[in-house]
Amino acid sequence: MKILVVDDSKAMRAIVKRALSGLDRVAGATIIEAADGKEAFGTVQAEQPDLVLSDWNMPEMTGIELLQALNEAGVSVTFGFVTSESTPEMHELAKSNGAKFLVSKPFTPESIDAALAGAI
Amino acid sequence: MTTTTIDLQQIGAEIWAAILGLDLQPADAVAQHDSDVVVVTGVVQITGDWAGAVTVQVSEGLARTATALMFGSDPADVTEEEITDTVGELANMTGGNVKSLLAGNCQLSLPSVTTGRDYQVHISGAEVVERATACCDGELVVMTMLERRH
Repeated sequence: MKILVVDDSKAMRAIVKRALSGLDRVAGATIIEAADGKEAFGTVQAEQPDLVLSDWNMPEMTGIELLQALNEAGVSVTFGFVTSESTPEMHELAKSNGAKFLVSKPFTPESIDAALAGAI
Repeated sequence: MTTTTIDLQQIGAEIWAAILGLDLQPADAVAQHDSDVVVVTGVVQITGDWAGAVTVQVSEGLARTATALMFGSDPADVTEEEITDTVGELANMTGGNVKSLLAGNCQLSLPSVTTGRDYQVHISGAEVVERATACCDGELVVMTMLERRH
């Protein structure tokens, strides 16, 4: 399994990677990174990950813009958000664009695992 | 719009516990960093139906500790860029959680970070409406909400 972690914060990418590394559900997965939606758009097409975990609010291209761009390009990938913002409107927008889940920061390994349980 | 239901201390405590494994305890409400302490401030602005900013202020020493925990490295080895990233993300998470509790349609900015001694943060047209202080390993954490009213 290959997982792409997208966040403009290197610190948050480190935290997400550490949380994933302790989960049996994704044991052995290769984790790759992108620093914004624009970079991730290219990385998804080049690396073809099985799962994208993306922040929402990022420079260049936001997480929801990334998901919409992937949809428009016909790229199918399991997609979930890990974001500090979590409103009903964002949940609805994420869901309507095909996102499998939205995990709120601060998260725990358990909350990420619970989200992944319904997605992969 | 009322902001009285937002508990910055609780929001901060949840973030610091979940992400850093650090315990934030309420501190003296009027506590502030001494003027000779290097303070790192993370700021996110909120626009829309509620307009203002959320700040998180910590000493450079505590910022270094938090950064080392974020990156799983030694405090002596962390870089200024990593400290900026970490404090910006702490402000982003705090602001994002605040935004989630605000009514209406709001947008969150990307974080900005300032470091220095003996300075104050001013947001044009805004005043402090909530201020929480916390103690973490003997160091002070200050979180504020500033609301733009004109």
